[in-house]
Amino acid sequence: MPASELLASPSNRKGIRFDPRTKLFLLITLCTLILSTDNSGLMLYLKPLLALIPFVLLLLSAKYWAGFLYFVLYVLGFVLELSWGAFGNGVSGFIVLMVSAIITRFTPCVIAAFFLMTTTSVSEFIGSMKKMHITDKITIPLSVVFRFFPTVKEDAGAINDAMKMRGITPKNPMLMLEYRVVPLIISTVKAGEDLSCSALTRGLGAPQKRTNMCDIGFHLWDWLIFGICFCYILIFCFQNQICSLLNL
Amino acid sequence: MIEIENVSFYYQGNEQMGAVNHLSLSIPKGQVVVLCGESGCGKTTVTRLMNGLIPNFYKGDLTGAVRVNGRDITKMPLYEIAENTGSVFQNPRSQFFNVDTDSELSFACENLGYPKDEIVARVRETVKDFKIERLLGKSLFHLSGGEKQMIACASVCVTAPDVMILDEPSSNLDVRHISILAKIIQKWKAQGKTVIISEHRLYYLTHIADRFVCLAKGKKVFDLSADELRKQDTEKLSALGLRTPDIRCLEPEHAGATGKQSLCFEKFRFSYKRQKECLQLENFCVPKNEIIAIIGNNGAAKSTFGRCLCGIEKAGLVRDGDMTLSYKERLKQCYMVMQDVNHQLFTESVMDELLISMKNPDEQQALEILAQLGLSEYAKRHPMSLSGGEKQRVAIATALASDREYIVMDEPTSGLDYKHMKEVALCLKQLKELGKSVFVITHDVELIYHCCTYVVHIEAGKVTNQYAIDKSTHTFLRDYFLLQ
Amino acid sequence: MNSKIGAKDLITLGIFTVIYFVIGAALSLLVSIPVMVPFFPAIWALINGTVFMLYTTKVEKFGLVTLMGVLTGLLVGLTGMGFWCAPTGLAFGLLGDFIMKKGNYKSFKHNLIGYAIFSIWTSGSLIPWYFFAQDTLAKYTQGGYSADYGTQVLAYTPWWSLLLFVGLNFICGLLGALIGKRIMKKHFEKAGIL
Repeated sequence: MPASELLASPSNRKGIRFDPRTKLFLLITLCTLILSTDNSGLMLYLKPLLALIPFVLLLLSAKYWAGFLYFVLYVLGFVLELSWGAFGNGVSGFIVLMVSAIITRFTPCVIAAFFLMTTTSVSEFIGSMKKMHITDKITIPLSVVFRFFPTVKEDAGAINDAMKMRGITPKNPMLMLEYRVVPLIISTVKAGEDLSCSALTRGLGAPQKRTNMCDIGFHLWDWLIFGICFCYILIFCFQNQICSLLNL
Repeated sequence: MIEIENVSFYYQGNEQMGAVNHLSLSIPKGQVVVLCGESGCGKTTVTRLMNGLIPNFYKGDLTGAVRVNGRDITKMPLYEIAENTGSVFQNPRSQFFNVDTDSELSFACENLGYPKDEIVARVRETVKDFKIERLLGKSLFHLSGGEKQMIACASVCVTAPDVMILDEPSSNLDVRHISILAKIIQKWKAQGKTVIISEHRLYYLTHIADRFVCLAKGKKVFDLSADELRKQDTEKLSALGLRTPDIRCLEPEHAGATGKQSLCFEKFRFSYKRQKECLQLENFCVPKNEIIAIIGNNGAAKSTFGRCLCGIEKAGLVRDGDMTLSYKERLKQCYMVMQDVNHQLFTESVMDELLISMKNPDEQQALEILAQLGLSEYAKRHPMSLSGGEKQRVAIATALASDREYIVMDEPTSGLDYKHMKEVALCLKQLKELGKSVFVITHDVELIYHCCTYVVHIEAGKVTNQYAIDKSTHTFLRDYFLLQ
Repeated sequence: MNSKIGAKDLITLGIFTVIYFVIGAALSLLVSIPVMVPFFPAIWALINGTVFMLYTTKVEKFGLVTLMGVLTGLLVGLTGMGFWCAPTGLAFGLLGDFIMKKGNYKSFKHNLIGYAIFSIWTSGSLIPWYFFAQDTLAKYTQGGYSADYGTQVLAYTPWWSLLLFVGLNFICGLLGALIGKRIMKKHFEKAGIL
C-alpha cells in the first residue's frame, strides 16, 4: 500500500525551486501578520496583498489546481466578509461573518504551509535547518518525526482495518480510544527501538561534526521573496507613522 | 578476526530469553559464519555482542571479552565500533533513518564526519557495486521489502567495514530477493570481509557459508562445515529448531486436495488510489475446506487479494456453492491474520481478546477454543507479551471465537524457527478439521510442505498456475523456490 | 549516569514526539468545528496523557521535555496554525522539566504536575483566535446594527477567558496523566515494553 508522507518525496517536483528557508520565512511572516494581528488601519489593505503571495508561488511551482482552488476560496471569503451585512444582523449574518473571516484569515497560512510541505523533501528541510546552525538536538528528532509520520499513519490504518474486520465497535469512547492508541504506541515504540539500533550501529552520535550533504542556496527568487516579506514587516511596524504621513 | 572469550550475558529483566552462557567462539578474518538455533537460543544476542549493541544499547549482566581485531569492543562506544563493523537487521521497514534513498546511503558517512566529496564518491561506488542505480532519488516508502533490504546492505557498505553482521536478514524477503541477498554475501566473501549471519532459513546459505554454529540455551551445540551439516540427520536438526538445509529433500507430508472446486472468485479487480490496477483476477475457483497456499513474488498483489477476499477492500464477489458473498458479507464471514499481528490484538489478556470477538461472550466456550489450540496456559497473559508464533495462534483463536468460515493468513511464519513454524502448521490443520477454508500467503516453502494441500500462484495480479499438491505437482513448487 | 543527551535519547524523543503529535492532531481534526477550537488544547492534554506517561519512563535527562515542547510547537506551526506554540512549548517545557527533574523523572506526583504544566503549551494556539474574535466582533458592532448579539458573543470571549481555558487545560492535563497511569498498569507493564 502506498504510504503518504508528511513532506514531498524527492521525485515529484516541478517548476521553480525555492530554498526551504525562504518558504519557512514566508510561512512565519504570513502566520504572524495575517493570523495574529487585527484588521485596523493599513493592515486592512495589506492583508489581501499578502494573501496573494502563496497563490503566485503555487503557480510558479506548477500547482495550478491547488492555486485555482485557493484563489476561488479566498475571493469568495473576501467578498462575503465585505458584504455580510446583507445577511441581516441576526444569527445568520454573524455566521456568514464568522465563516468568511475564518476563510480570509486561515487559508493563506494553511496554503503557505501546504506549499512548504509539498515542495520540500525531508533531506532539503533538514539540510536547511543544519545550514541555519540549528542544533542536532532539534534536527535529529525532527528527522525521526518526518521518517515515522508515514509509518504511524500506516499502522493506524492497519489497526483501523483490523477493528473493521474483527467487527469490534465498543460503545464506550474511552475503550474505543484505548483499542486504537495502545497497539499504535506499542508498535511505534518497538519500531523505534529497531531504528535506534540501526542508526547507532551506523555511527549516529559520534562526536565528530556531522557532514551536511545538502545542496541548497539562495537564488534570485529567494531574495525577491525575502525582500517582499521584509517590506511587509516594515510597513506593519511603522503603520501608524505611515498612516499619519498619508493623512489616512 | 573476532574472538568471543567465555562470554555470559543476561538481559535486564528477562534472565532466560536470549541469554548467552559461557560461550567461546573464534572467527578468523574472511570467514562466513551462520549462527542458528531456535528462537531465544541466544544467536541474536551473539550478533549484538559483536556489533556493540550489547552493552551500549541493551542493558544486562555481561562477563567475558569480545575482541574484534584485537580490541575489546565491550569497552568501546558504538560509533567507534561502527567504523569497521556494519550491521543489517531483520525488519526492512524499521531500519532506515531517512525518507529518501540518497540520504540513507550517505547517512553512515555523514555521521562519521567524512568530507562531502568523499561521501559522494563512496556512495557512487557502492551504488555501482550493488547495481541499484534505479533506486536512487526515490522515497524509501515506495520501495518493496526486498529493495529496502538491499538499500540497508548498501548503506552499511559505504564506510567499507570489514566485518558484516546480519540479523535474520531474509525474514521478510521473497525468493527472488533471497537469491540477491545470497549474491551480496558471496561478493562480501570474495572481498575478504568477515560475515556473521544469524538466520533460521539455511538453504540459501549452504553453498556460501564456511561454518554453521548452532546454539541452544546460550551454549554451543555444534560447529560444522556446510558439507558436514548436510550429512546430519534431519530429525536431529529439527529437534534443535533448525529449518532444512536443503529444500530439495522435502516431500509433501500428506495427500493433496481432492475435493470439487466449489469456491469461486469473480471480478477481483482492485487499484490503490491514483495507481494502476494491481489486482486483475477475473474468475477462478479453488476447492473448499482446504489449506491453500498463495505464492508469488513481492508486489504480485497477494496481500491485496487477501484484503479483497476479507472484504477490507471493496472488490469482487465470492461464490460458495449457492451462496454469493459481497464484500460486506465477507467482512463478517472472513478473518485475516495480518502480517503484523500486533495491529489486531487490542485487549489486556488473551481471554478478553476471545471474549470481545464473540457475539455472546461465553467464557466456557473461549476456554474450549484455547484448549483446542494448545493456548490454555496463556489465557491470562497480555497478548503483546507472547512470542510471534503464539500471537499468530491467538489471532487464529479469535477467528474461531467469532465463528468465521474463511481464514486468510498473511505470511504467518516469517522469522519463525522450525518448532514455531510446526506449531502454526498444526494449527492450520486443526482449522481444516473444523471445516474451515484456509488461505496462506507465504514465502515459506517448508510451511507449504507441512500443511498445505493446494497452491495458487499469483504474479502481477493474475493467477499464473494452480494445482493440488501431490507427488507429481510438487516439483513446480520446488522449482519456484529454487528459482529454476 | 551520563547526564548529557545522546543520540539514543534524541531518537526516543523523535519517536514519542511523532506519536504525541499524530494523536493530538488526529483528534483536533475530529473536532474541527470552530466552536470547539478553544477546547482543543484541553482535549489534546487529556488524550495524550498516556503517551506522555510512557515517555517519562524513558526520560532520565533534563531537557527532553523542553525539546518535545519546542518540536511539537514547530510541527503545529508547519501545519499553518501559527508559530505561537514554539515559544510556549519552550517555556512550559522548561517548567515541566524543572518540576519532573525534582522527582528525578521517577516520582509520579512530580510527573503528574509536570505534565499538567507542560500541557499548557497548547494554549499558545489560542492566541491568534483572540485577535480573530476581536476583529470579527468589532466589525459586527461597527456595522451599525444593534450590538445585542455582538455583545452577547463578546461576553463569551473577554481576555480573561484565556485564563479559564488555561485552567481547563491544566485540569485536563492532570486527568490525562491519571488515565495514562491506569493504561500503563493495564497494558504497557504487562506487555513488557517498559
